[in-house]
Amino acid sequence: MAHELPFIAAIDEAIRLEMERDDTVLYFGQNMATTENEPYVDAFGRDRVRVTPISETAEIGIAIGAALSGFRPVVELYMAEFMLVAMDQVINEAPRFRAMSGGQVKVPLVLKAGFGFTAGWAGQHTGTLGALFMGVPGLKVVMPSTAADAKGLMATAIRDDNPVVYLHHYLLTLEHGDVPDGEYLVPFGEAAIRREGGDVTIVATGWTVDRALGAAATLAADGIQAEVIDPRTLAPLDTQTILESVDRTGRLVLVDQATRHASASTVIAGEVAEHGFSSLKAPIVQVTALDATIPYSQPLEAWVLPDEDKIVAAVQQVLGSAPVTA
Amino acid sequence: MGVEELDRDRLVWMYHQMLRIREFEERVKRTFEEHPGVIRGHTHLADGAEASIVGSIATLRPDDQFFATYRCHGYPLARGTDPKAMMAEIYGRRDGLCKGIGGSMHLADPSTGFLGTSGIVAAGIPHATGAAWAAQIRKRGQVVLCFFGDGASKQGAFSESLNIASLWKLPIVYVMENNGYNVHTRTEQEDANRAHGEDLSVKAKAFSMPGVTIDGRDPVAVYETVGAAVARARAGEGPTLVESQMYRLSAHGNIIAPPGVPLHFPEHEAVEKFGAPEEYAAALKGDPVPAFRGRLVADGVLSAEEADTLAERVREEMQVAVSFGLDSPFPAVETALEYVYA
Amino acid sequence: MTASPPGREQGLRLLATMWRIRLFEEQVGLLTRAGEVDGLVHLSVGQEGVAAAVCSQLRDDDAVYSGHRAHGHAIAKGAPLGRLLAELMGRDGGLCRGLGGSMHVVDVEHGFMGATGVVGGNIPIALGSALAARLRGLDSVAVVFFGDGAAQAGHFHETVNLASLWALPLILVCENNGFAEFTPRSAHTNVERVSDAVAPYDVERETVDGNDVVAVWDTFGRFLASARGGGGPFLLECLTRRLRGHYEGDATKYERASAENDPIERFRSRFDADEAEAVRAGAEAEVEQAVRFARGSPYPDPGLFAAMVYADA
Repeated sequence: MAHELPFIAAIDEAIRLEMERDDTVLYFGQNMATTENEPYVDAFGRDRVRVTPISETAEIGIAIGAALSGFRPVVELYMAEFMLVAMDQVINEAPRFRAMSGGQVKVPLVLKAGFGFTAGWAGQHTGTLGALFMGVPGLKVVMPSTAADAKGLMATAIRDDNPVVYLHHYLLTLEHGDVPDGEYLVPFGEAAIRREGGDVTIVATGWTVDRALGAAATLAADGIQAEVIDPRTLAPLDTQTILESVDRTGRLVLVDQATRHASASTVIAGEVAEHGFSSLKAPIVQVTALDATIPYSQPLEAWVLPDEDKIVAAVQQVLGSAPVTA
Repeated sequence: MGVEELDRDRLVWMYHQMLRIREFEERVKRTFEEHPGVIRGHTHLADGAEASIVGSIATLRPDDQFFATYRCHGYPLARGTDPKAMMAEIYGRRDGLCKGIGGSMHLADPSTGFLGTSGIVAAGIPHATGAAWAAQIRKRGQVVLCFFGDGASKQGAFSESLNIASLWKLPIVYVMENNGYNVHTRTEQEDANRAHGEDLSVKAKAFSMPGVTIDGRDPVAVYETVGAAVARARAGEGPTLVESQMYRLSAHGNIIAPPGVPLHFPEHEAVEKFGAPEEYAAALKGDPVPAFRGRLVADGVLSAEEADTLAERVREEMQVAVSFGLDSPFPAVETALEYVYA
Repeated sequence: MTASPPGREQGLRLLATMWRIRLFEEQVGLLTRAGEVDGLVHLSVGQEGVAAAVCSQLRDDDAVYSGHRAHGHAIAKGAPLGRLLAELMGRDGGLCRGLGGSMHVVDVEHGFMGATGVVGGNIPIALGSALAARLRGLDSVAVVFFGDGAAQAGHFHETVNLASLWALPLILVCENNGFAEFTPRSAHTNVERVSDAVAPYDVERETVDGNDVVAVWDTFGRFLASARGGGGPFLLECLTRRLRGHYEGDATKYERASAENDPIERFRSRFDADEAEAVRAGAEAEVEQAVRFARGSPYPDPGLFAAMVYADA
């Protein structure tokens, strides 16, 4: 059975269920002592649920130490950019310990962070940073686009014995969706085919998944059937599903709200060019943010970022291109 | 729940551990000459810090935990980790403590509460703080010791962690080993307190926690002060900052050089960079290992013959460690991919 | 050299600055609710006294940095109201041509070097300005405004150590309103006063009532005179209260200041009623003019900012 929940509540449901199930799960971060978080304190106590000062290096480092010592912390970071304040702990500490110790220890933790506050939150709060982390061995990177996946991926993240960067898009916060009741796990490394189609493959992440579906509906009116794939996890990345789809359609459009060279789409393009070249009937087309600090003013912000029209244009481009000779 | 009184056995044990650390570190240093190419990268020695290391580790219960820095060889030796596995790790061999993957800067032995080591200055301070939070939740009275150098106290990670530990009254003791240098920089060149003639323990005031400065070359003084801080932490009274003053007798580490240039240990920075050979000579005179020997012999705790016998045993033990390391094969290359994910 | 308390003329100018900030911020609140200002906005209502008392003693060549609650500091430092409002409304006539928004306003001409969205992020940067002034042998100073929450960030302590070690002309001004975002100070630290957080360092420091404009003026004036004479660093902690939520839209319920603690109300009583009212009316007219200017400013051309990613070679 399922019930309807907004995206943000689906994430909370997963955290709550996991904390009930496993008393080694901790939840802490800035602003956790506000009224709406009192239920966590009431339910799980001030040992396991704590508020911290603005101290990201210490917050993430503390999570690592607690994880090394047998607990499973979830760090509420609020915004992905705040992880940048503590880059050492995220990239050069958490994912390294297991390897450097020769497998003696593990670091099970979840860094929960909103991202993409592309509603006038300006240059330092609007980035899409997941791809900065997806190439770090030892780190997993998760980016749900539906309420159900938000719940299932958080549950999996908490149960995973590795450090997981869990990124949830700001603009999806209040998007409602059907969420399975009770325990619900979505595995890492399995992309979801959101829409089937034989003419072109569109791979989109996070908030752009719905934009791609919107573009697909527009294209369908012109008789173009687009297949929309949501990777759901950037690391591990399900290249297999993408390659199989490209093998069927021969054409690929990649959509990511990040800037070009720091995007998941560039990574995927590389994989397909290397392992799926013979399937391609046309060059790959990418729709990413333009290379700039996201501007504040609304028309500029919109101009920089991917949208439905740009995805439609990209599909038309990839269909209009001369076919690659076999 | 205080720390045990130091009886003869305990004092001899402490001296024995100091000898073991000294000999182990000497053998690591000698490897650069005797077996060039075997140790790669960067290694950092704890000679000069033995009294502080042993005095601190001696205060721990078996289920306590500790974190250290890239200068991490001394603590696991005092805690009972096998020096053969440690040397093999420093030599990058299959039978190393971390299967050859970590190396000198990243030793770990969770079975003794040594949960792992970061090589980034101050990065381990929040890790130790998190382990102390875990200990607080478990309510078994465990304590965490967090070792770091004076250089780390200028990192944001230091102040953020101490503030939180004080606020949450975590069962942790922060042991700052002040050896007067941060890599090649003298402390007074980078630390406002030192530049103004103050002890670094004054930094504790910023976090509303007790801070104390001790002579880190006296293992008994270290044992008593750290022991009192450990007792405080175990009783739920919160953290302490202990500044343990000492002098490191080797240079910061072996030289940093591209492949092709043989690695070796240069002279101490006092001599090589700062033109202060008299400072170094004075430090050698205050070497804590022979000083403690002299004290124990003078107090009748140990005879000179017994002390010599201990030294011989230690030399044999560490020779075995070196041979074990040299004889251990390199790990299979696939090992590199084995521990990426749990 | 001791500072003198503000005389009558200076006092009226201070009152005018405070009214300009108050009325501007209230207008921004209205415009936010009407959707003419979007994004994340933090208002300085209730904290005008500190901005006015500090910035009006500074010159254009003194660098001022702020945090995310920066409108008051920018206005007090001389940023024109129309161009500031145009920035908040994303227009080309804005101080940053619509690129920055509320948390990233800059007015280099008046020495307002920038706000930031990262708590405490400007503290080390302000130290850089102080270093530059010293290296050039100038008597200019650097001032950075931040909230009590920033004092627990590692970069605050890193900056204090270096500022003290190098004795730089940096004046740290902490507006301690007892909250960091939505959390009271007691949940962040054991150390009640931010000035105690720098106790280990050789930093001259004082805590004052931030709603008492004269007290802020006096103490900052002393620090400023000393900094210009080669002294530094300094920490001025101003106890104050937000009279509105953390950001516009913050629905959290927590205690609010009463009108008795309003810095404007407290200061205006020194002037006669007509005088004070004339000042207020003048400020109101300026704010109305600013709204007209901002609304009349066009949106920026998208092509413009492509040229602003990198500085020209």
